[in-house]
Amino acid sequence: MSKSYEELMEEVYDLPDGLAKINLLEEAARVADLSNDIESAYEARSMIVENATFNGYPMKALVAFSWILGQYDKNQDLFDEYDLLWSYKWILDKISCFPDIPLTQIDELLEDMRKRYKENGYSDRTYFFYISVNLLQQGKVEEAGEYLKKFRSMEDDLMSDCTACEQNRLVEYAAAVGDDEATLEAAKPILKGKMTCGEVPHVTISKVLLPLYRLGLVEEAEKQQKRGYKLIKNNLDFLQHQGEHIYYLSKTDPFKGLELLERHYPSMLGHENPFDKMMFLAHSSALLELLSGESVAVNARLPESSPHLAGMDGQAGGSKGNAGPLAAAFREDALLLADRFDRRNGNSYYRNYIQSL
Amino acid sequence: MSQHDNYRFQVNLGGMIDILSNHLYSSPKVYLRELLQNAVDAVTARRENEPLAEGSIKIDVTGAGGPATLTIQDNGIGLTEENIHEFLAVIGQSSKRSGDLLAQPTSFIGRFGIGLLSCFMVSDEIVVLTQSAKGGPSLEWRGKPDGTYSIRKLDTELTPGTRVFLRCKPGSEAYFEQEFLESSIYYYGALLPYPITLQTEQGFKQINEALPIWIKHPDMARSHKAEVLAWGERLLGDRFKDFIPLQTASGRTGGIAYILPQGVNLNAKRAHRVYLKNMLVSEKAENILPEWAFFVKCLIWSDELQLTASREHFYENDQLEEVRGELGEAIRSELMTMAELAPDRLQAIIGSHALSMKALAVEDEQFYRIIYRWLPFHSSIGQRELGELLQEHKHLYYTLTLDEYRQITHVAAAQSLVVVNGGYIYDYELMSRLPLVHNGAEVERLLPEDVSFTFTDLTAEERRNYYEATREADAVLQEFRTQVQLKRFKPSELPALYTLSKESSDLRSLELTREAATDLFSSVLGNLSAGLQNAGYATLYLNLDNPVISRLFQSGKNAILPIAIKMLYVNALMMGHYPMNRQELSVLNSGIIQFIDWGLSSKDHNGGTTV
Repeated sequence: MSKSYEELMEEVYDLPDGLAKINLLEEAARVADLSNDIESAYEARSMIVENATFNGYPMKALVAFSWILGQYDKNQDLFDEYDLLWSYKWILDKISCFPDIPLTQIDELLEDMRKRYKENGYSDRTYFFYISVNLLQQGKVEEAGEYLKKFRSMEDDLMSDCTACEQNRLVEYAAAVGDDEATLEAAKPILKGKMTCGEVPHVTISKVLLPLYRLGLVEEAEKQQKRGYKLIKNNLDFLQHQGEHIYYLSKTDPFKGLELLERHYPSMLGHENPFDKMMFLAHSSALLELLSGESVAVNARLPESSPHLAGMDGQAGGSKGNAGPLAAAFREDALLLADRFDRRNGNSYYRNYIQSL
Repeated sequence: MSQHDNYRFQVNLGGMIDILSNHLYSSPKVYLRELLQNAVDAVTARRENEPLAEGSIKIDVTGAGGPATLTIQDNGIGLTEENIHEFLAVIGQSSKRSGDLLAQPTSFIGRFGIGLLSCFMVSDEIVVLTQSAKGGPSLEWRGKPDGTYSIRKLDTELTPGTRVFLRCKPGSEAYFEQEFLESSIYYYGALLPYPITLQTEQGFKQINEALPIWIKHPDMARSHKAEVLAWGERLLGDRFKDFIPLQTASGRTGGIAYILPQGVNLNAKRAHRVYLKNMLVSEKAENILPEWAFFVKCLIWSDELQLTASREHFYENDQLEEVRGELGEAIRSELMTMAELAPDRLQAIIGSHALSMKALAVEDEQFYRIIYRWLPFHSSIGQRELGELLQEHKHLYYTLTLDEYRQITHVAAAQSLVVVNGGYIYDYELMSRLPLVHNGAEVERLLPEDVSFTFTDLTAEERRNYYEATREADAVLQEFRTQVQLKRFKPSELPALYTLSKESSDLRSLELTREAATDLFSSVLGNLSAGLQNAGYATLYLNLDNPVISRLFQSGKNAILPIAIKMLYVNALMMGHYPMNRQELSVLNSGIIQFIDWGLSSKDHNGGTTV
């Protein structure tokens, strides 16, 4: 029942990344806490930060990071600052995804990172970059573009993201601007395989599907969809992108889209990232809306405990299928979340976005 | 008269050799592979024009007493003077671009030169005698690592083919020993299509056997089981019991996937042995099969993949992806066929490799549909196959994490709910998707708070009797955002059960971490936790079937109740493996002291009865 820290860590090393591993790390951190072993507790939580960041648990990452940063400040000589500073970026990458965190606090966090980077001899380039990332997330596309320009004029350093990640932001920006040609142009080196990393092209491909489709490059879009989906289908961290694939498929192959929806819906229910949830629900709602117009009655197979099925006439949703009522339920949830984001962001970006789908 | 021309490479060979030996090749022993490759390519090239020519490759080592000399002789196409200049030119180009050019598919002649260069890792002088099958004079080429070489036309005419002489350089003796040569030639060349012989002072030996038919036609492996297993043991060193033949549609890649006799670690290196054009190129190829296929060790032969510069790994390109897809499909479809025709064989595989099967099932719904009934899961009624569980129980519950499972398993078991522990890798994903593959299966994620629905409510009378005490208990735990519920449930040994939703659990860990965070992060977490405040309270269920609880509440309003409730609360936290915050720890500390004190004073007064 009670394993030692070392035993737990040994099991950790045998596991691929994901929830099972994170849970073991949490147990290891608890064991270390109990024996007041700060260094082990720090090690386990550093690993949680990384694992949780890249496997769809941003809240766990934030909590673990808060702890290690606190410990670092108290015992600077015990820990290496490089990894800590590097992982600060992961936190800022996702911080705007939580609508309960006000803008002033996001700014304070950006400044805190900037200060710490400066103290360690790194430039403001990464700071500007993450301002842009957050502005884009908040639907402030134009301002995000200005900071992108600013960051691109500076020379990179050891805190810079890899070129693939940076290029991907340019793709995301162009996609947010709504410029299909520019999106594809920016994505070119990534799609050609000249720039890759752990999450690129995974997160890039879902941004080019609709631009390809709209520009009539249907065959290429099909090819990229298959390739891209394979990369993201097994990782919770890509819930938003799974939703984007679903939305694309609603244009080309809605029943395939339904298969994706059924597959990813259960993991959306318990997902920690409200932003990804909103996007998934919004895009799925568009698909369901479309399916409800099919001549056959479409019934999405969702778990019986699904809150979106509650109050519905059984799983079957009557002779008309459940697609229509589910579309409405999804949309309502997505808009509730959108309003929370918009209120925080001070605009109506996400409500508008969802209504445009 | 013999013509004797002296030439000089326009390259710094020393630097080139350094690149090869220190950065490119994993070990100097690959010189042997390069020599074999050159010989095989030469024979193959000759047979294109003269299909009836019988190829042979002879290796010979002499030099007792002094430095050993190795000779490798083939009866292949040989080189013309023009060819020799060509390969030298290729070396020149490669040296400028180091690794890059080596990776390009080059002509036979170009490769010949690069291969030859690798011999400088073990020799300071290379002599090549060659006679082109296309005619022209016999030639001698001598090269040194300092970059000088000479070409000479010989007076005598040799038979077509090439002989390469290497004199062992000091320190490389190990690479010229009979034992090394014999095992390495077999290692690299077991699948080469021409007989390779080795002559040393210890005697003469043919190294490779004639190739079995199933190398060309992997499908026929099924009818040569014993032979296939014997080759597996000889080449891979494991005693296998089962295998799956592999072949791509083009027929250009084939192989045998041997099923590992015992289970392997998820992160174990998947080291497959891969032959390109019959020559071993890697015994560590990991990227040739899909990730999930970690229950097999493969022999794979191909003539369509592109090697990296070191010729020891494959380029990650579209072609490799296609081959990987097809090989994976061969394994997958064999497993699916087994499910139908030979379930015993499949069960034996699942028995040792459940994790591998689950990894594939998570990726591939169709596969999951075929094999789910044999997959083992850990449940509140023990380790069971899914099919067994479904036969006996229509409704299955699962937890998301091991922690949740631990918290509720004994309670759930006492209510005869069947709960599957989803905390192991892949398990909750598979459980949540079960209804997609098994019609009529009802699965439900069980949260710790959910088990309470099977608890027995109090009667109206009990409710009235315990009203006051319950209210007081509830008030005591307000400060811990926990409400008290008095119920009856099994097992009666359990006095209290603490449950909380995912949201209140997040809230707990947020609040706990705020104590250790910087001010800024503490207030960030504060905002997050404010968003979770309406997540509701945690619940402490007290079990009236438990004798101690029963006594505690029977006595009505009493002095001991508040502290007893708090102690039950921290005890339940500990039972559920929840980390405690400062406030809770201090409850625990002061509570223990208080109870000892009470114990002592009641002993003083009553002569030893406990509280």
